Amino acid sequence: MSVLEYLANGLVFSSIIVLSSIGLSLVYSIANFANFAHGDTMTVGAYTALVTFGFVGTLGAEVLGLPLGFFLALVVGVAVAAAVAVVTHKIVYEPLDVGSIGLLITSIGVAFVYRAIIQLGFGTGFIEFQIPLLRPIEALLPFGIRMTLHDVAIVASAAVLVAGLHALLQYTDLGRKMRATADNPSLARVSGIRTDRIEIWTWVIGAGLAGAGGVFLGLYNNISPRMGFNILLVVFAAVILGGIGSVYGAMAGGFLIGMINQLTPILPRLGQEIPFVPESFGIPIGIEYANAIAFLIMVAVLLVRPSGIAGEEAT
Amino acid sequence: MSDPTAPAGTDVPVATDGGDTADAEETILSVEHVDSGYGDVQVLDDLSLSLSAGEVACLIGPNGAGKSTVLKTVFGLLRPWSGHVRYRGDDIGGLAPEEIVREGIGYVPQTENVFGNLTIEENLRMGGVARDDDLGPVIDELYDRFPILTEKRNAKARTLSGGQRQVLAFARALVMEPDVLLIDEPSAGLAPNTADEVFEDVLAVNDLGTAILMVEQNARKGLSISDSGYVLDQGTVAYADEADALLDNPEVSRLYLGG
Repeated sequence: MSVLEYLANGLVFSSIIVLSSIGLSLVYSIANFANFAHGDTMTVGAYTALVTFGFVGTLGAEVLGLPLGFFLALVVGVAVAAAVAVVTHKIVYEPLDVGSIGLLITSIGVAFVYRAIIQLGFGTGFIEFQIPLLRPIEALLPFGIRMTLHDVAIVASAAVLVAGLHALLQYTDLGRKMRATADNPSLARVSGIRTDRIEIWTWVIGAGLAGAGGVFLGLYNNISPRMGFNILLVVFAAVILGGIGSVYGAMAGGFLIGMINQLTPILPRLGQEIPFVPESFGIPIGIEYANAIAFLIMVAVLLVRPSGIAGEEAT
Repeated sequence: MSDPTAPAGTDVPVATDGGDTADAEETILSVEHVDSGYGDVQVLDDLSLSLSAGEVACLIGPNGAGKSTVLKTVFGLLRPWSGHVRYRGDDIGGLAPEEIVREGIGYVPQTENVFGNLTIEENLRMGGVARDDDLGPVIDELYDRFPILTEKRNAKARTLSGGQRQVLAFARALVMEPDVLLIDEPSAGLAPNTADEVFEDVLAVNDLGTAILMVEQNARKGLSISDSGYVLDQGTVAYADEADALLDNPEVSRLYLGG
């Protein structure tokens, strides 16, 4: 495989990590705890889309190799992930007065509940969207890139969502209030912002993006009850690398971690890919260490910048 | 619990008539026999005071006397354990800050009183979230009044100097055009000449007709720009009088103004 192909894969994987990292960081910035149920919120989104796709999968023309029904299923997956998170916030997190560590541990329990319910309904096995696999895009093959239209759909959808979130945060009243609340919750209330409503919107957006990430992860790999939880540590690495609580940091961190994760196979043959380095140079390490390497890079960055890429610049 | 010889105690405080505005007689805000504190720790003990429309009142007293606690209790950041906080006759004790700001009271905290990651313009917009009308005119007016903010309108608030921050903190609270502004130690951490400028701004805000209840560590300075003053000690009012009278009171001077 060519370096370009690894980069293309990295871009697709990064898109999924970015979506999920933004949500985790956003929720952290306003709800003020590390939500360990975030990965399973992704899973909720994926299964919801799977079920919806079963009903509407044949609908409509194809866009980027995906029937329009898939995008409808995506929207439903996002909506249900958001709704589940808001309900959880209202009946579990909000009434609890246990501090951020208490909420973190509670969220681990919430994650188990989500997963158990999904397993009750769907079993523990792997499932896939019933969408035919596509051949790689011909035009990219001469560059050594094997990328399908589905991959393009993932990257494009993530780009649209990230751009939409950026516009929301910078140019709308809700976005400004969210940034103000993340910056200084007490001053936000003093200014008249009804922060309890802002917190609900934060859950809607954060969990919605996680749901989208889950649907795309399901399209990219497959769907299983542990899919979200398995990727959660990588997402945490991305968020911490970016600077926890910062949305733009999460974008940068998610992109870097996703890329590093997918570029790991190049490490053993670095010499062949980088000019001016002996051909035989390489770091002999298998792809099973991809996550470990992502974490190593995270630790290295944090040694230099303890508060992450975006540092103190919250949201 | 306080000095038994105190001339004005915890009873209904003396009417203060130091204001030069026409409606200075009308009590706009009153704190009546309030106990309050943090968690289990009581700070305010049967504290009473009142603020007339359009006047400037200053709370002075030693550290830990409960000056800031008074403002936090009035503004709903702390719930009164007993007693009443009345604004225009309505009991607002226990209302949340985001509701109290809609009643017409503003609050400028002592520290962290701007949104550091938001621009100056965005800070001002946040100050007006509870307004239904167009914020443009009122924000433009504030830019006219505080030109330093105009120059930096698109800069992040954390890039401002201490004095500029304080100006922005005032301006943010003024977007609501409150009838009462609570200000916690406006001069804290500022160089003396910057502090003087901030006091000038306090008076300028008062000139708009806004009544001001201010906590000030620099007691002489605070009283000198105020109509009335309250000396707090151990959570209750030890002395209440016109500001000039407090400055001239030998006992207050000896005990609280450093001689």
